[in-house]
Amino acid sequence: MFGKPIAMSETRELDFAEAIREAIRQEMLRDKTVFVLGEDVGKFGGLFGCTKGFLEEFGEERVRDTPISEAAIIGSALGAAVTGMHPIAELEFMDFIGCGMDQLVNQMAKTRYMFGGSMKAPVVLRTPCGSRYPIASGAAQHCQSLEAWFMHVPGLKVATPSTPYDAKGLLISAIRGEDPVLFVEHKLLYYAKRMPSLREPYPALIQKVPEEPYLIPFGKADIKRPGEDVTVVATMMMVHKSLRVAEDLSKKGISMEVIDPRTLVPLDKLTIINSVKKTGKVAVVSEDAKTGGVAAEIAAMIMEEAFDYLDAPVRRVSALDVPIPYAPVLESTAVPQERQITEAILDLVEPK
Amino acid sequence: MVRIRQFEERLAGICARGEIPALVHTYVGEEAVAVGACSALRKEDYITSTHRGHGHCIAKGGDLRKMMAELFGKETGYCKGRGGSMHIAAPDIGIVGCTGIAGAGIPIAAGVGLSIKMRKTDQVCVSFFGDGSSNTGAFHEGMNLAALWELPVVYVLENNLYAISTPISKATRLRKLSDRAAAYGMRGVVADGMDVLSVYEAVTDAVVRARRGEGPTLLECKTYRFRGHFEGDPKMGETYRTKQEMEEWERRDAIPKLADRIVKDRKATQAELDAINQEVIKEIDDAVAFAKASASPRPEDVAKYVFVSEK
Amino acid sequence: MEEGLITKWLRHEGDAVSEGEAICEIETEKTTDEIQAPTSGVLLKIVRKEGKAVPVNAVIAAIGSPGDDISSIPELSAAPTLAPTPPTEELELSLERIRISPSARRLARERGIDIGKIKGTGPGRRIVAEDVLKAAEKPETPAPPQGYKSTPLMGHRKVIADRLSLSARTAVQVPITMEVDMTSASKLKADQERAGTPIPYNDLIIKAVAMSLEEFPRMNTMVLGEELRTMEEVNVGIAVGLEDDLLVPVIRNANRLSLAEISRNANNLIERARSHALTTKEMSGGTFTVSNLGMYEVDLFAPVINPPETAILGVGRIVRKPVVSGGSVVIRPMVTFTLVFDHRVVDGVLAAKFLQRVKQLLEAPEKLSA
Repeated sequence: MFGKPIAMSETRELDFAEAIREAIRQEMLRDKTVFVLGEDVGKFGGLFGCTKGFLEEFGEERVRDTPISEAAIIGSALGAAVTGMHPIAELEFMDFIGCGMDQLVNQMAKTRYMFGGSMKAPVVLRTPCGSRYPIASGAAQHCQSLEAWFMHVPGLKVATPSTPYDAKGLLISAIRGEDPVLFVEHKLLYYAKRMPSLREPYPALIQKVPEEPYLIPFGKADIKRPGEDVTVVATMMMVHKSLRVAEDLSKKGISMEVIDPRTLVPLDKLTIINSVKKTGKVAVVSEDAKTGGVAAEIAAMIMEEAFDYLDAPVRRVSALDVPIPYAPVLESTAVPQERQITEAILDLVEPK
Repeated sequence: MVRIRQFEERLAGICARGEIPALVHTYVGEEAVAVGACSALRKEDYITSTHRGHGHCIAKGGDLRKMMAELFGKETGYCKGRGGSMHIAAPDIGIVGCTGIAGAGIPIAAGVGLSIKMRKTDQVCVSFFGDGSSNTGAFHEGMNLAALWELPVVYVLENNLYAISTPISKATRLRKLSDRAAAYGMRGVVADGMDVLSVYEAVTDAVVRARRGEGPTLLECKTYRFRGHFEGDPKMGETYRTKQEMEEWERRDAIPKLADRIVKDRKATQAELDAINQEVIKEIDDAVAFAKASASPRPEDVAKYVFVSEK
Repeated sequence: MEEGLITKWLRHEGDAVSEGEAICEIETEKTTDEIQAPTSGVLLKIVRKEGKAVPVNAVIAAIGSPGDDISSIPELSAAPTLAPTPPTEELELSLERIRISPSARRLARERGIDIGKIKGTGPGRRIVAEDVLKAAEKPETPAPPQGYKSTPLMGHRKVIADRLSLSARTAVQVPITMEVDMTSASKLKADQERAGTPIPYNDLIIKAVAMSLEEFPRMNTMVLGEELRTMEEVNVGIAVGLEDDLLVPVIRNANRLSLAEISRNANNLIERARSHALTTKEMSGGTFTVSNLGMYEVDLFAPVINPPETAILGVGRIVRKPVVSGGSVVIRPMVTFTLVFDHRVVDGVLAAKFLQRVKQLLEAPEKLSA
């Protein structure tokens, strides 16, 4: 069932990693063909704890630690999926996806189309992305947000949840769906229960999540905060930063509407366009590098489809076109923080 | 084998006349490998194949009409005209898919083996690939994983000595590619790719072991393609091979070799063999006619089959 | 002065010229002037040809010694640059270009607000939605009474509104008035009626206008941007007012038709106009318009030129008036004509002479029948 679940047993709060873990576990209990493979998913329980306890509960058959072989991880997930299984493969860091690009882009994404609909590839490929500032410095090869590459590959769905509630619902939809899904998890989202310093500024990192399984459809955005004056379309960690900016700016009388697309492919254009029609002013906030990034695609779409309703150019708040630096002072300059978002909004609302 | 030979040779003519848009890679000369291997398989066993996959697909039981229609890009083809020569798939006879990327099928076959193992059936998967593919990263990762998890896969390496124009001597220091299996703790064997019975015996052996849960095998079949890498390859590959070499291998053609043996062992007469040949030619005629008469896909359907569901 | 028009080159490429010698004639807003060679030498290249408008400070020619390299003159490079030079600074928009956001443009369109009148408060003086909404609120005329019936400005009404606005914005419209003695004309009209072929006054006027246009072709000109087209055909449009519409059917080649033919055509067109049966063809090709409000007791009025024509004639009512003739006061049927002409194309003297001719023809109407 889509949408808000019927019964909300709202007694416990989960963080992002817990919600994901619950989704996978419930699906593995429900369906024997669902299994997990990847580096460090078994014995270690996943680098970020998303498969903690699974090896003990489900055994080596269904929780498979792999060698460092992204091409084999993705390729074997594909081979299993086309012959009746429902693998959930994990790529330990999104940065490693280049090591398995052919299997993902040339094989998995094209299986359904190339073979004229005679086969399907129900693979869920989970992978953490993003900068962990201010918690840790992962630097250039462990902090990238590359989801824009995959918006560009027809045949792949791309999910980018920002909250525990969304994560569980989307992941279950992905697992039960029949299409290849790249499920992108911003690593800063995982930590909230273990990092109180994140919980206070970003309260939505921990949420009440229903115990029973529920589905959130792909292609349906969520208005995380309704507003009247300016539209912000944000993804993943940027949703939380935007919400914080919205709270601050509301004290100045600026009413920000924050839209979380939740899935980049398919993209809920209608919700975004309707908001732009209302406010006439929009900023797209995305952590990836500006050039050719997620915000670029969404901005172009808004320009095409809501041109007559724009009262100002579409603003993009994205990372600078630099590899993610190591030193925190550089990283916080390169990767958008509340400051850059605020500047963009003020510029839209009170332009000089 | 005759079916494959006739199909491919007919296809060569079709390509030469420019009747289809495809980039086509024919299997002429290598028939013994596909037929020897697939004869050792059941309908429910799987194969993964390559850009040079018509032979494998026909040997596995592919419908000639649907194959020809796919090559002509028609809606009645195996992939509704969307895949073409290099991307034929027929899941109901276990053809998991041909891929145009060298080596890509190797990890996928491991995944198929994984699926078999997890579903606890006694199916196997045969993965065909060439000498050139054995140098890719995908080969390394796929083989390693298959060996590690003891997956029921038979990796059939069709060593036709060339990867397009690159001879193996310029691609690797190894002389015997099946030696690579040792690097993964896998069994590596060699068969005579120009003798269908040799291939059949080797694959049967590997398949039995795989069904018993003894893991994968790398089977190197030494063979040769009589035509160029692709249809249109100048002088059918003579620009990077010698005429002498080509003639030498043609003398070892598996089809006449088998035919002679059948007649000598009195399993059938030459006349009966000729009759089979004629029947096959008729089958091909029928397939071509079917393909030519079939409808092309409609342009408005271009975006169909990208996803199973839009949500 | 911002630009001039080179009317004539007095010397040619390859001629030797001396310092101070007049080499070309140039027309400015006010005068015709000469340009003198600033130095002696050979006139190597004429960069700006005759008939071309030239902005101030532009290079018009090169004088030097034979064989000099003049390739550095930018205007001379014939080959277009293959790679566009990267913009080092933003292109300066000319002052006429209005900066407005798409949303503001839409709002202005929906509310019928002229964006030329709005002051922009956005970056770079961009007009934003707020500016349009403010302009919409501000009443320029005293607030209308509360009760009202609203209809959108659309359809024919909008077409008329747009065309006349365009005319008012672009043409420089000057009216000149003349009274015409219609005594002889009314006699002609009476004769025609007695003969069984009635001819309305308006048709006499059309014929007079058509013949005059033949003699004063400048009045039969179309203004298209920077181009003046003096038309070969004389096609007179008759303004026909309907309930909420203004149609202008055209009598083609009115100068070549007889009075009777003009009358027949006019009658037919006016009837068809009234029954909304006019075709596009019947309403196109006009080169001059006659508008008559005499039947509504209007004495005098200055109509708006029908773009892209050069002039329009407004005809008032014929009224018996006292006039002076031969030292005494007599009663004559007089009508007041107002010719509104576009001063960009035609000057007062010509317009007056044209109107005089129309008057002459109507005061000696036997010439109309010729």
